[in-house]
Amino acid sequence: MFGDHWILWYTISNSYSIIEPEFKLLLDSYLESNSTIDFSATISDSIDVSNDLTYSISETLFNYLKDCNRPYSPPIIPLIPLDKSYRNISKQYNFEGKTIQIYYNSELVLKTVHPALAYCCIKSSDVALATFDIYLKDEDLYLFKNECLISRVSKHDYHLIQGKFIMQLLCTLHDKQESDWIGTFHGSTITDGNSSILFIGESGKGKSTLCALLAANGFDLLADDVSPLLSKDKHIYYNPLAISIKKGAFNVLEPIVSDFDSLPLVKFNKTKGDLKYIPCEKPKNNHYPCHAIILVNYKPKAGTSLEKVSVKTILETIIPESWLSPNPKHAKQFLDWLTDIDMYQLTYSNTKSVTIEISKLFKQLNKKL
Amino acid sequence: MKKDNNSDKITRKEAIQKMGKYAALTAVGTFVILNPLKAQSSSPPDAGGDPFD
Repeated sequence: MFGDHWILWYTISNSYSIIEPEFKLLLDSYLESNSTIDFSATISDSIDVSNDLTYSISETLFNYLKDCNRPYSPPIIPLIPLDKSYRNISKQYNFEGKTIQIYYNSELVLKTVHPALAYCCIKSSDVALATFDIYLKDEDLYLFKNECLISRVSKHDYHLIQGKFIMQLLCTLHDKQESDWIGTFHGSTITDGNSSILFIGESGKGKSTLCALLAANGFDLLADDVSPLLSKDKHIYYNPLAISIKKGAFNVLEPIVSDFDSLPLVKFNKTKGDLKYIPCEKPKNNHYPCHAIILVNYKPKAGTSLEKVSVKTILETIIPESWLSPNPKHAKQFLDWLTDIDMYQLTYSNTKSVTIEISKLFKQLNKKL
Repeated sequence: MKKDNNSDKITRKEAIQKMGKYAALTAVGTFVILNPLKAQSSSPPDAGGDPFD
């Protein structure tokens, strides 16, 4: 139980449900009844409701349980061999001495991953720790790691190839398997060198801009856009991809981020327009414990406010946009992890005051360490 | 064990009584079901923002 809410996890569907104590009471009563008639009798005996309303309560609970128990089906990965004739563009990247090789088949496909890693791109003859192939064949995008197919999706779902690539890159760099992770959150994480804070929010609400601001003001970026949580220590791990910034935030960051003007413009798509990728210095450690989640809301001309929010508000934002392992052990770990997390909503427009506010929060969180 | 179950049932019945008709009717409409993504993803594209179109 979290504050005023119960959070239930359903094994079959890997769904999380947030319910209030009154709903839990009715649900427990429903589940312990031998039949709907038995349940209806319990309700009618307890409160003065018509048969129709009792039936309606019973039906709602039945449908709720049906929805929560829709079987989870993981994506099926077919056995397709790598086609090396698609190796038109070759790039090597270096991450603190670890070399990764990626082959792309076109400039368009290159844009899915390369711009965020361009700052690590090197010319190297070193043996790569892992070799990736990303290519577009017919209408599908393929991702291979060490010649094994990892994912094949429609080209319009390129964000799934990006997500899978990041997961595999993290596994390579941190020497982990995909099954070692509790999940990857859609959010950006900042550290002060002691602990970390995860910033979440809808696209366009200023997560990445805020993290770029904080990274230019004494904090370190641990992860942008995809923040991975490891099962072993329940820490958030370093994700080396540079921060992606949309054109709308350029004027905020130009005076704060050094050499911002010299960063190349990347034309990715019509809606996002021009993008810039800000590389950040790697934090001292590869991973940090996380003790707070902040729902970010950039509002022009708004004052800075940091207010506590319910677990419901946070989970409604984070779960539908994150990958969470269906492993029961990981689901339990995720819920246990949440019990130690402070949850806030941040509204801001002023860069100076938001930095002060986050510094204060870090100090407060570190007292718990 | 059975005795415990029965006492649970009575306590629950009393709790439903205490909750009352209106709270019970309101409560059944308050649940939220959230499904995580089935595969890792980066930020999904905005509407009309697909470079592969």
